[in-house]
Amino acid sequence: MRWPSVRDLRRLNVATHRDIGYFVSALVIAYCTSGLALNHADIWNPDFVIHKKKITVPARGEVRLEPAEIQAYGALVGENRYRVFDYPTRDQVKIYYESATLHVDLSSGMGLYERVSRRPLFYQVDVLHRNSFKPWRWAADAFALLLVLVNVTGLFILKGARGLGGRGKWLIAAGLVPPLVALVLHG
Amino acid sequence: MKRLILLLLAITLLACTNKNRTTPTTRKIGVLLVSHGSRSETWRKALTDLDGRVRNAIMADGKVKDVKSAFMEYTEPSIATRLKEFDQHDFSDVIVVPIFLTVSPHPFDDIPTIMGQKTDPQSLETIKVEGIERYTPRARTHITPLLDFTDLLQKNIARRAKAISTTPDKEGVVLIAYGDETYEKEWGALLDRVSQYVEKETGIGVHSYGWCGHLVHYDPGKTTAAIEKVLVARDKALVIPVLVAHDERFQIKLIGAGIDRIGNKEQRVVYKPDSILPDEDLEQWVRDAARHHVTKIEASPK
Repeated sequence: MRWPSVRDLRRLNVATHRDIGYFVSALVIAYCTSGLALNHADIWNPDFVIHKKKITVPARGEVRLEPAEIQAYGALVGENRYRVFDYPTRDQVKIYYESATLHVDLSSGMGLYERVSRRPLFYQVDVLHRNSFKPWRWAADAFALLLVLVNVTGLFILKGARGLGGRGKWLIAAGLVPPLVALVLHG
Repeated sequence: MKRLILLLLAITLLACTNKNRTTPTTRKIGVLLVSHGSRSETWRKALTDLDGRVRNAIMADGKVKDVKSAFMEYTEPSIATRLKEFDQHDFSDVIVVPIFLTVSPHPFDDIPTIMGQKTDPQSLETIKVEGIERYTPRARTHITPLLDFTDLLQKNIARRAKAISTTPDKEGVVLIAYGDETYEKEWGALLDRVSQYVEKETGIGVHSYGWCGHLVHYDPGKTTAAIEKVLVARDKALVIPVLVAHDERFQIKLIGAGIDRIGNKEQRVVYKPDSILPDEDLEQWVRDAARHHVTKIEASPK
């Protein structure tokens, strides 16, 4: 048994960087995709596509509707079977369908039909990124640690002018500038 | 192999049938105060304090056997957790008191969907994504009307306006509330009613309101705009948060930032970062709502 040489350690470092890099690559892309999506969640819905359709019906004011009238509203949006209906206010009715709703303001006669469906790919990656599936947080912790390992091993792959002792240290310093500027501006 | 599969199927079937999903026949009533929930400990404490202040009075006549609090999102105890606890202790009926100002998708769709009373497709998907557990209790659930059902909000805001007002004829009231996209008309109408009442009670004749929630993407600029509207006609703006409890994010960060943008704010803005709670009228409202529903439940067949 002998102590590993520097060369052995370098080979181990490269192998670790390469193999863990392969292993986390799919998740890196998933997290980056969902990161972009969730970063702008205030201006778009990253999880769902809401298909909307506006309808106009005769204004009626504060009334209670008969099932046949509810059925007739449904026909206007291509729904032939409602589940239930309810009144959020005295002059509004909300009708619930399998995966859609129709919300009618009976005073103005304006109705909004909304059908919700999951946004493909984004919904799935967002579920992981947001830890909506609670046990996933442990996997996310492990993923974060692996990313740190990929990062640290990456620092020692090259030697010389292109390594950490050369341009590497300047690029690391440059990478620190944007977050520092942001923190200074934030105050 | 076949035997093993059959055995596993039998065990699964037995496990499913063992679950007693029927409502207990002996009447046992509980009260659940449901609020939105917040990451702010101060906010949550105000709601648990409310629970502490009303529970003895609600349980005094022995008709209600327990009072609990639940948060719709962010932190435990969740609605599902509390409903499970009521089920474990064989409650037959749970009166759910939503501590919400007025109509919004939370009390109208989300809470009934979480409790299995309703299946709103959008709520169903949203609560799943947000990791909110859905649980249909064995106990029957009865949801009481919202805070705007009474005039307690008007009285609360008038009291708070009076407390910071010094020269009513030179002041205007600015109400800052969370707001809601679907029911913006109703929220506006509620704040108009509140402002009219404040005018009657305090003599402050100018008012405006602004939103600070999701509807305006948490933009402090909307608070600034509402204040500036009042300052066109008056020397001083009294800013009053129409929020259930104190949350540093809203009362300090968002509304505070909106006020910071007003020039000479020390002279022109009066602001106390308080909230609707604590309020004795609200406590009385919770007690009345619970009592009213107990009477209704007792009058209904078991």
